[in-house]
Amino acid sequence: VDGPIAQVAVLAGGGLVAGLAMLLRGLGGYRTANRISDTATSRIASIAAGEVRVSGVVAPAEVLLVSALQSASCVYYRSTVRERGDDDLILAEERAVGFRVRDETGEVRVFPRAARWDVPARFDDRSSTLTGSPAGLYQRTGPAYTAAEPDRDDQVRALLGIGRPDRFERFVAVASGRDREYQERRLEPGDTVTVIGRAMPFGELDDPAEADLADSEVLPPDDPEVAANIAEARAAGMLLGDPEDAWGNAAIPGFGIGRPVREPDLDPDAARLALAGPGEAARVARTFEIPAERLVLAAAPDVPLLIGFGAPGEVAGRHQATFLVGLLGAVLAIGSAIALALALGQGLGA
Amino acid sequence: MTPGTAVALFSVGLLVIVVGFLAWETYNAVVALRLRIDKAWANIDVALKQRHDMLPALVAAVRGVMAFEQDVLGDVARARAAYSPTEPIPAQAAVSEATTSAIRSLFAVVEQYPELGSHRNVLDLQDEIERIEGVIADRRELYNDQVYRHNTRIAQIPALLLAPLFHWRPREFFAARPEELARPDTELRSA
Repeated sequence: VDGPIAQVAVLAGGGLVAGLAMLLRGLGGYRTANRISDTATSRIASIAAGEVRVSGVVAPAEVLLVSALQSASCVYYRSTVRERGDDDLILAEERAVGFRVRDETGEVRVFPRAARWDVPARFDDRSSTLTGSPAGLYQRTGPAYTAAEPDRDDQVRALLGIGRPDRFERFVAVASGRDREYQERRLEPGDTVTVIGRAMPFGELDDPAEADLADSEVLPPDDPEVAANIAEARAAGMLLGDPEDAWGNAAIPGFGIGRPVREPDLDPDAARLALAGPGEAARVARTFEIPAERLVLAAAPDVPLLIGFGAPGEVAGRHQATFLVGLLGAVLAIGSAIALALALGQGLGA
Repeated sequence: MTPGTAVALFSVGLLVIVVGFLAWETYNAVVALRLRIDKAWANIDVALKQRHDMLPALVAAVRGVMAFEQDVLGDVARARAAYSPTEPIPAQAAVSEATTSAIRSLFAVVEQYPELGSHRNVLDLQDEIERIEGVIADRRELYNDQVYRHNTRIAQIPALLLAPLFHWRPREFFAARPEELARPDTELRSA
């Protein structure tokens, strides 16, 4: 069979697969929408342990992220760059750091590890060989992490300094001249957010440092391969007991954000880092000094953590829309199946 | 099998999957709602018990100074004595409202005794009871919101179709019925 009938059959087959995929996604959306709309919002000052839904404004904890495509300060971003006509991504980077949610009664700390994020795109544009890079593209040139409360000197340095293009930008610069699609989803301080997860005492978190970060660039320690490697290294006595022996300067509080609390061991030719003042040192030292009984929000095996941009109704509405699209997918699948049957019938008849 | 039969089977199968999924999800959602209501109620109960346990200490702390305010102290003691975790929820709501009212009256009277301002333990107890009152109010709101969601859900399609099958009934709000507001008139018992 060839000619128009074959083309119809191929199109119908594609429509069938796409419709079923839309339906599958829509059913997932229905489940999530139910979970959001069936859980009442707790006031933060009176939350109790267990599954809770809180809604409020994002406030930074100790550290913020700098997004990859627009260099915006945020607590979560997912940045992608792809060349048009190519399924492979040039860049796919997703990171999150711990933050606080504040409502009119108080605030609660969120540990975002293993969270499912529902955040619409803040930046969605494309470059072309004619127009060049999109206007909003302002790629990050420094570290991905920054202090949540940078001091005056840091801000002056950031304002007046000239950043060198990083590895990604250089790569993009030398890549072929095909059009690219840029997309960045972000959650920033001040955004309204809805979080559904398990409220648990801070002391019950297995590893707060791990739970506070979600980084697609770093494999988690519970990854089977990583866990096996760690166990093997431990058995062989290769793991060091002291963090400073293992990590060197990186074990000094504040070193990662360029404000170490004490003098790091640097190469003599390296630029000296300004030491953190007493206030900053106290702030760095405060990290994770959370009372063990204080309730925090985190993912649990039986209660997945969902973090959505916007008020609860808004988040649920997006998932309900996904469900409706899924129902349209079912209609598309049935229509495609009819078209496929007719095409095959005519093909067999011919 | 002809292509037409295959399409018909596929369409019916898809419909059955979607309807089955909705029924399955609705059942699970209502069960989860009921469990959330139970949990919300348990959390209120914890706060009510905390308040119940703290009231004797507060009454004992102010009794010596407020010798001429026995009515106010008696109201608090009566409300406390009426607390019964086994009563139906509307009855407990009535007792809780009476207790809150008695506590507010007591705090208002305490303000008229400046000498109590120097009693650290009285101030601490007052702060703690006010905090628990806030927690009770917030959790009551949460409980009622959860009950509202449950009752709305089982009154709407598709849960409405499943409700008779699984004997789903509306749950009661944590709110006193008008006839319950006359209570508690229990005899004053020692705290």
